[in-house]
Amino acid sequence: MNLLRKQQTRAVLAAALLLASSAASTAYAASWRVDPEKSKLGFSGIQTEVPFQGSFGRYSAAISFDPDHLDTSHISVTVDLASAATGDSQRDTALPGKEWFHTAEFPNATFESSAIRALGGNAYEADGNLTLRGVTRPLTLPFTLEIDGSVAQAKGRVELSRDAFGVGQGPWATGQWVALEVGVDIAITATRED
Amino acid sequence: MTRPHRSSRQYTLVAILLHWVMAAGIAILAIMGLVMVHVELAPARLFQIYQLHKSIGVTILLAAVLRLVWRLMHRPPPLPDTMQPLERTAAAGGHLALYFFLFALPMTGWALVSASVFSLPTVLYGVIPWPDLPVLPGLSDKAPVENLLKQVHAYGAYALIALVAVHAVAALRHHFILKDDVLTLMLPKRSGSRRRSTSAQTEGPSS
Repeated sequence: MNLLRKQQTRAVLAAALLLASSAASTAYAASWRVDPEKSKLGFSGIQTEVPFQGSFGRYSAAISFDPDHLDTSHISVTVDLASAATGDSQRDTALPGKEWFHTAEFPNATFESSAIRALGGNAYEADGNLTLRGVTRPLTLPFTLEIDGSVAQAKGRVELSRDAFGVGQGPWATGQWVALEVGVDIAITATRED
Repeated sequence: MTRPHRSSRQYTLVAILLHWVMAAGIAILAIMGLVMVHVELAPARLFQIYQLHKSIGVTILLAAVLRLVWRLMHRPPPLPDTMQPLERTAAAGGHLALYFFLFALPMTGWALVSASVFSLPTVLYGVIPWPDLPVLPGLSDKAPVENLLKQVHAYGAYALIALVAVHAVAALRHHFILKDDVLTLMLPKRSGSRRRSTSAQTEGPSS
């Protein structure tokens, strides 16, 4: 069979399976529930040449993932930007403001994956779109994944330029006081929902 | 002829404390201000000094409120009899001007922070949030307003430094040249310090 026929056949089979089963079967990517106690969605930056770390206290993720069915795997994350905390009262008061996250108008940031690729071993990459402060840009999130039974641990890090999203307006739009490059670190522990 | 008792010629301990603590605070603020404007500093250090300057500035403003309330409730000792009318006017005017700057300078600082294009929240000593003044943060074009307020604050600071210098020199003149008790009035009461309040050389036992 040529490649196109193979793909079509597979699609028909998948559709048939879906119709035949009442619940998501193992042929489809399983749903995973993030354990907030064991997970962290962090970010890092540099302010006046001094590095700082922070994390988001409130976020939700809808993850359907199966290493054997990456084509039907999907990651969707919604982050409550007002929950950002860096341990510095002045910084934490400034972050939701109009010059930075502007949470009054843009309360959430979202990441929607469009494709997930296996890179070999336990390394993966999720292509997707990040929407932050009302601006949507493509973002590729590399991560490593360990699955032990029904528990998965994913660790990933991505650097992005905050000015692409308009985070940091006016005098903050240059890297003079706060570096334009910021890091996002994810460390997720999730349990497979059966 | 009775001379005023030593005990009636003394500032209250609260007034004395406020005076010297605020004097120290103002001296520190002046030095910080001059450093912020004239010294090349690493951005992190400059940022820290700005935040500390704001914190101490607000502290001085609150102390100034306390100071004024205390002053209105407790009359200071009268000026020495030996002082001429012109000197008395200069002293009263100088002190009034100092009180004016105690309020005006922190207020202009507060205003310039409120109008700052950086829109940085003020957190005193890293722990106590302090609000901005109304109206200023919401202005559409803050930069020229901030710059104007910066100039006012800076020139006001120079004026205060000059005024404090005159104030200090005047106090030293009273103490070392006129040899009256004006300076000692603003020091905590000590036994055995000079007791002259008038041109009389010593106070004998009151009859």
